Amino acid sequence: MQAALSLAADGLKPVIVERSGAVGGKLRDWHRLFPTMTPAQEVLEEMAGRLEHAGVEVMLHTEVEGIGSKGVTLAEGKTLDAAAVIVASGFDIFDARLKEEYGYHVYDNVYTTVDIERMLNKGHVALHDGSAPRRIAFVHCVGSRDEKVNQRHCSKVCCITGVKQAMEMRELFPEAEIYNFYMDIRMFGPGYEELYQQAQQESGINFIRGRVSEASPTIDGRIQIKAEDTLVGRPMKMTVDMLVLIVGMKAAGGNERLAASCKGVTLAPSGFVAPKDMFAGSVETGAPGVFTAGAATAPKTIGESIAEGAMAAEKVVEYLKKAK
Amino acid sequence: MENLTFYHGFVVPFVVGTSVLFAVIFYKYVRWFTRLPRRDRQKVRRGIFSFATVRAVWECFTECLLHRRIWRVNPLLGYMHTSFALGWFLLIVVGWLETTAYLGGRFVPLQGHIFFKFFTTGLEHGPRWGIDFEAVMDLLLLYVLSGLALALFKRIRSRALGMRRTTRLTFGDRVALGSLWFIFPMRLLAESITSGLFGSGGFLTGSLGGLLAPVATQGLELAAWWGYSIALGVFFVAMPFSRYMHIFTEVPLIFLRRWGLRSEVREKSFDHFQIEACSRCGLCLDPCQMQRDAGLEQVQSVYFVRDRRYNRLTRRVADTCMMCGRCEERCPVGLELNTLRLNSRHALRNTPANDRYAYARNRDTSSGGGRTGYFAGCMTLLSPRILKAMESIFAAVGEEVWWADRSGGVCCGRPLKLSGEVDAAREMMKINAEMFSKQEITTLVTSCPICLKVFREDYVLPGIEVVHHSEYIERLLGEGRIGLTPGTERFTYHDPCELGRGCGIYKPPREIVRRVGTLVEPAETGREAMCCGSSIAGNGLDKNAVGKMGVAVGRAFEQTGAGSVVTACPLCKKAIARNTSLPVADIAEIVERHLVPAK
Amino acid sequence: MNAVNFGYMISVARGIDLDRNDLTSARELGDEMPEFRACIACGGCTATCTAGNLTSFNFRMVQTLVRRGEYAGAYREMNKCMLCGKCRLVCPRGINTRGVVMLIKRKLGDY
Repeated sequence: MQAALSLAADGLKPVIVERSGAVGGKLRDWHRLFPTMTPAQEVLEEMAGRLEHAGVEVMLHTEVEGIGSKGVTLAEGKTLDAAAVIVASGFDIFDARLKEEYGYHVYDNVYTTVDIERMLNKGHVALHDGSAPRRIAFVHCVGSRDEKVNQRHCSKVCCITGVKQAMEMRELFPEAEIYNFYMDIRMFGPGYEELYQQAQQESGINFIRGRVSEASPTIDGRIQIKAEDTLVGRPMKMTVDMLVLIVGMKAAGGNERLAASCKGVTLAPSGFVAPKDMFAGSVETGAPGVFTAGAATAPKTIGESIAEGAMAAEKVVEYLKKAK
Repeated sequence: MENLTFYHGFVVPFVVGTSVLFAVIFYKYVRWFTRLPRRDRQKVRRGIFSFATVRAVWECFTECLLHRRIWRVNPLLGYMHTSFALGWFLLIVVGWLETTAYLGGRFVPLQGHIFFKFFTTGLEHGPRWGIDFEAVMDLLLLYVLSGLALALFKRIRSRALGMRRTTRLTFGDRVALGSLWFIFPMRLLAESITSGLFGSGGFLTGSLGGLLAPVATQGLELAAWWGYSIALGVFFVAMPFSRYMHIFTEVPLIFLRRWGLRSEVREKSFDHFQIEACSRCGLCLDPCQMQRDAGLEQVQSVYFVRDRRYNRLTRRVADTCMMCGRCEERCPVGLELNTLRLNSRHALRNTPANDRYAYARNRDTSSGGGRTGYFAGCMTLLSPRILKAMESIFAAVGEEVWWADRSGGVCCGRPLKLSGEVDAAREMMKINAEMFSKQEITTLVTSCPICLKVFREDYVLPGIEVVHHSEYIERLLGEGRIGLTPGTERFTYHDPCELGRGCGIYKPPREIVRRVGTLVEPAETGREAMCCGSSIAGNGLDKNAVGKMGVAVGRAFEQTGAGSVVTACPLCKKAIARNTSLPVADIAEIVERHLVPAK
Repeated sequence: MNAVNFGYMISVARGIDLDRNDLTSARELGDEMPEFRACIACGGCTATCTAGNLTSFNFRMVQTLVRRGEYAGAYREMNKCMLCGKCRLVCPRGINTRGVVMLIKRKLGDY
């Protein structure tokens, strides 16, 4: 979105090709954004409004097959002529069913952070039977930093998401006990560490350093989890009403198709699109005229993705000038 | 005729070689036989006058001479091995007949038979007993030479003979192989020169002799016979120390095996017969996924057996193996490669049990009760979908179940055993067996093929039948206690090593799959199925090797065009799921999805 | 030598003195099996441990102590392991944990 806005501001004619029925990507599912608790809707509406105002053409429900020499290949063999392409296809959410031992879609009351955002958006967070949870556990790094599911990378935003959601849970359920099981807490952004401290001090969230190894059902329909409290050096068990899996970012499934269709575009071992270089060429790919913005190249925050959109637009302008 | 002598200087290398050969073999056999444990010696005594002996004789014929099992791998390779074995054997037998036919019953020393052509130039030629021996012997020589030509060809292009990789040879092997290659060409040359000088010989030696006649001299003739004798002598001396020891060892091995001797978890004298019966043919190399997919060299069964034979086995070699059994399936000699690997691990590592698992005794956390027991196994506890599916199936048939380990149990002991800690494994097995025997169960169902294998192989559980859940489900279907709704999904099935090659269970899971959809087999399946790479026997494999093998397995399933992968082992399930985008499910989960309780 | 109860490190009076500990064995272990060094101490192994469920055995802690040159008791502790392999399935770093057990027992064992 930001890339299109910047391009339009430069007097170019950008076209947004969107697979789903609306622009905004995963942001549309989010409730409030860390660390400021800004409603996602606010950000989305503002950008969509600017997009409409700028008169940017948006092709909804349109699947991209690949990038050819002339432009973007769409479904059914159609081609969209384009002088340059910005890949802003984002990421996929890790499928928590692959971590079978956590019981997602096996037991009731095991949710992912995405489920929670949706529930928050609906304004109704509750257990399967409609009751309020008395004990909630968050599991960090589900589908991140895990070779067992071929996800070696850190998804970066989950730590802060886990902290944010734990605090939201505290608001909703003042009496509940809330635990976050983490391997490392990575608070890299401005205001993140402060939010973490606030979660500990004011929201009373319990942070336990240990990876949950498995979840099993109890006779009364709750969930028992096992972890080691590594800071004490003793294994622990606890029964919770609600288990929230903080799912990571997976490289988009379409990346492989992109790399196969477009010579020069390569993928990193993680499956994300490899940038031309990590520094000055971070929004360029190995293919001239093909640029990236956002989580197509690595897990990123919303702010970072928007900044990259503007940067990619600038690189496109530069590229088109040179091409003339 | 009376003037025939069978002595000449050139026979010395041959005579010396033969003497060394027989002395060494005699020494080895006496040692191995006398060191057989009493149990094994009893089996020999009982078996020797049974029908098993007749069957062993037949097997010696089909395997040692014809090499039937190698023919099945590749006909050209089979031809090569047969030509050497059968050809040479017939050269000896027919040669002996020839001697007898020409000379009657008179005593002829060994070298007289071998160098018959040289010593009998004075005899009248022509057929005896109505047989043209010279022609027959030439034909046999040609047969062996054709095999030799193939062997040389194999050195250059092994793929043509169905082998992507061949064994790397030891020094002793090289000496023996080098001399072996000389034996038959030298024999051809020597016999031809003699035939040329004396106008004798069959279609091969005679005609070659005719060609050589203009240049043939007595000096040249002697040189050729010396060469032949030296080649034989060197080969015979090298033989018992090289891979060619298998020629003699395979015969007693076949007999002992027919009489019921087997290798065990502890090394014993019988192992020698297996170890030295390995011809290092290298057929075990190609099926090895560690070689093919992970690029690990010099650890495959052929090298393991070699190292063990020459007392230079390292822990690394013993440990670097998944014991998947694919090589064992392929071994033309039928060696118990997994058991040998296992007892080597035991010998290298077994440490006193020292009651180290005392803490696990009487810590029964089982629940429920009934005639049917269910042992999930450690790995299943990390696969709750399998557990839930089994729960649904039990509920559908109204089975009262004793849950042995749902809230954590004691390991079955097989991982310890496969790591070579046999004594400690026994201790653990005792803990479980005691717990089982306190229950009223008559059937014990398990979802883990690893547990299944050890329950069947090592546990003594009187009155309790142990079945894999695929067998149990098949039984329920057969009895009409559950029904399955048919579907249109295309499944491919992965045979877990411990279930398929380990317990011989191939059919039940497939029957179940066919009832709920279409089954498409992967390229390698059944007895030749790939290992998922995560075998619990693979202690010595690092994550890179396991990872590479896993990727290859995932690819193999994606190539089938199936919509999802079904397996019957929690460990395999996890390993495959990691390496494919296809959904992977246990057979029980598939059943749960299609379950219709019978009315 | 004082027996060290690995289940209750909190009661061990002395600290780890890396100036005095002989790290040779630790280094050798790592050289022989580099993934031994890849542990991020998440504790998943200990949480799932079949043996640890029944007795005080903490795989993560024992192997960490070994890497710090604290070898006393490591062999005896590792002998509590049943080698069931659950930890290998859980380990997010994909470490061959059963291999680590065997390696430590071999290197630091008294056999």
